Amino acid sequence: MDLSLDESQQILVDTFSEMLEKECPTTHVRDHEDTGYSESLWAQYCELGANAMGLPEAAGGLEMSLLDLGLVANLSGRALAPVPFLEVAAVGRLLARIAPEDALLARLAEGEPAASIALPRPNAVLGTSTTEGGRTLIPFGTIAEAVVGLDGDTLFVAENGKARRSDRVQDIGSGALAHWNLDASSDARVLASGDEAVAAMRRADAEWKLLAGFWLTGIAQRALEIGADYARERIQFGVPIGGFQAIAHPLAECAIRTDGAELLCHEAAWADTEDPDRFEMLCSMAFAWGSQTAIRNADIALHTHGGYGFSNEYDIQLFYRRARALSSIAGGASEELQTVAERCFDRDGSGEATSLLGGAQ
Amino acid sequence: MDFRLGEKAEEVKQEIRAFLAENFSEEDRKEAAEDGGGHDWELYRKLAAAGWVSAGWPKEYGGGGRDPYEILTLYWELCKAGFPWIGLLNNGFIGHTLMAMGTDYHREHFVPKIANGEIAFALGYSEPGSGSDVAGARTMATRDGDDWLINGEKMWTTTAHTAQYIFMLTRTSTQDRPHRGLTIFLVPTDVEGVEVTGIHTMGGERSNGVSLTDVRVPDVNRVGEVDKGWSVVRFALGLEQAMGYADLQERFIQQAGAWSLQAGPDGQRPFDDARIKEQLGQTAIHAEVSRLLRHRSTWLTAEGKDLGGKGAMTKSFSGTSYLDDAQRWMDLVGPAGLLKEDEDGALAGGNFDEAFRQTPVNTIYGGTVEILRSLVAEVELGLPKSR
Repeated sequence: MDLSLDESQQILVDTFSEMLEKECPTTHVRDHEDTGYSESLWAQYCELGANAMGLPEAAGGLEMSLLDLGLVANLSGRALAPVPFLEVAAVGRLLARIAPEDALLARLAEGEPAASIALPRPNAVLGTSTTEGGRTLIPFGTIAEAVVGLDGDTLFVAENGKARRSDRVQDIGSGALAHWNLDASSDARVLASGDEAVAAMRRADAEWKLLAGFWLTGIAQRALEIGADYARERIQFGVPIGGFQAIAHPLAECAIRTDGAELLCHEAAWADTEDPDRFEMLCSMAFAWGSQTAIRNADIALHTHGGYGFSNEYDIQLFYRRARALSSIAGGASEELQTVAERCFDRDGSGEATSLLGGAQ
Repeated sequence: MDFRLGEKAEEVKQEIRAFLAENFSEEDRKEAAEDGGGHDWELYRKLAAAGWVSAGWPKEYGGGGRDPYEILTLYWELCKAGFPWIGLLNNGFIGHTLMAMGTDYHREHFVPKIANGEIAFALGYSEPGSGSDVAGARTMATRDGDDWLINGEKMWTTTAHTAQYIFMLTRTSTQDRPHRGLTIFLVPTDVEGVEVTGIHTMGGERSNGVSLTDVRVPDVNRVGEVDKGWSVVRFALGLEQAMGYADLQERFIQQAGAWSLQAGPDGQRPFDDARIKEQLGQTAIHAEVSRLLRHRSTWLTAEGKDLGGKGAMTKSFSGTSYLDDAQRWMDLVGPAGLLKEDEDGALAGGNFDEAFRQTPVNTIYGGTVEILRSLVAEVELGLPKSR
């Protein structure tokens, strides 16, 4: 057993931490709340190879592991970076697997944030699925020119973004959301069909969820730091409020859950190659638990601030809103918990109990 | 990065499973649950004969030299199987402590007898007037020539009715701050003045209260220096807190999952109800996170690194999440969930009922969740002391 990062992973963390500290302070995040996207920051990401780090060499990538991508996603979450790292990674890897010659893949590999993804929501509550009527809310749908999605067992790419997407719709997370008309009959290009298509989307969904789990864990970690910093500094009744159990204990509970979230993300990323049977289940867990932890931490940290917590001037509200937004855009934790149950107990829908709990051998 | 416990741990798992298959029947399991004392001499001596009691001790003291991952696996498998393993846990630890902090006399007189299953120890920290405030112990030990006389009362002394000795925290000084006047003694349970009374719990466990009246203990039974017992106790509690109940959570979710997938009388699978499915997902995550936190504690121990507040994190999360799940499941499954194991119509072998009764203790003994959260707040978040 070894739960530490190796040297190259540590260098990766140091490199991106340094870049984000310099290029993405919360003032930068605030400056881009009206678009949800920072072109200059994305250029910095591409400079460090972030757009292609998870792609095979043949596609112009660095063949880095999901754990490496996760570490970058985690730091991005901490910084609330307004960049389409998750979407570019998930779509790029999907194309590399199923359509390695596709022109869209080449554009992603060159750093163009050209594509996003319509995540499947098998457990969406009836009537709330955003794919209703073919219109789907797409993360970074304002800048993408193509969206990859699954319709039945057809994997398609809907291009011609200008004709398909709405103007930016404002959301709670100040994101770059747009409605996309994904009606597959309206001249979308078919990438694959049948079992292969379903499996490809299932894999891309798992990867996006895993990286989003890392991202949410980053939000959780930074929100907790902000809350704990405030609890150490804020004086009431003549003492720092962090000395009151009513303040300290909820923050401690957050710290515990956050460590759990980080371990879960690391385990899931590691499982990609080392424990493949459990990989998809763990990705679902990482997203659901990352969601719950980020939302809770931001809530507790915000509350720790008293009235200042909900004033726009303090940063914690940025985390509170974005934790919710990143979780909800994929359907939220409740939906994902059902997927966890399916992947843990009823993988093929046969009703055979195949619990994947218990860890790797 | 590597999340595996390793090959040796995997071998231990197979060995223990084989041991259980041979020596621990379903009837034994039910008897152990019925008895609730956490220790069975016949089974325990079989474990000792196979070398498991001293498995984690260094080889130079006749131990098995097993690494922390192997010991984790040993405890995990026994606990999950419902084996009465509290005696094993206590004795493994006390052997360690006597080797590290004891005298040559302890190492010659007690350690081999623990290893071969001849004697067992109970832990005596809590008292009627001191629970979370362990250092507030008032059971007095006073010098009487070469001996000590002990007077007072102990609470929650699980296995005291089957053990030959109690590893006991006593007060030897009231001059300084409370934690600076404590001393540990190995107190025999069969001497004059020791009275053990059963305490029975809602969860079916049997613990004990112990009253001590002029109990004479020779000075050679003292562990560590006079008035320096606090560090020994802290070590003991740290060990307990680094474990949690991930093994029981794993059993619980597996039983809940199996129950959910079976069609009920109406032909419907509970699994297909979104509420059940969601709760299954949540319970599975809680079990996984508890396991990961426990594995991290074990890894830090194996690497010789400081646990900081991470042991406390393990028990705190495990205790609260398991309790929460047990309560939610009871609410979801309806009236049949109330029925005890073997009753007509009981669900999942009475698993929901049992978990509901047994989980409240987990957020209390071995350090309440409030004590643990304070520790995490201070050590991990750098917040001021809050108690």
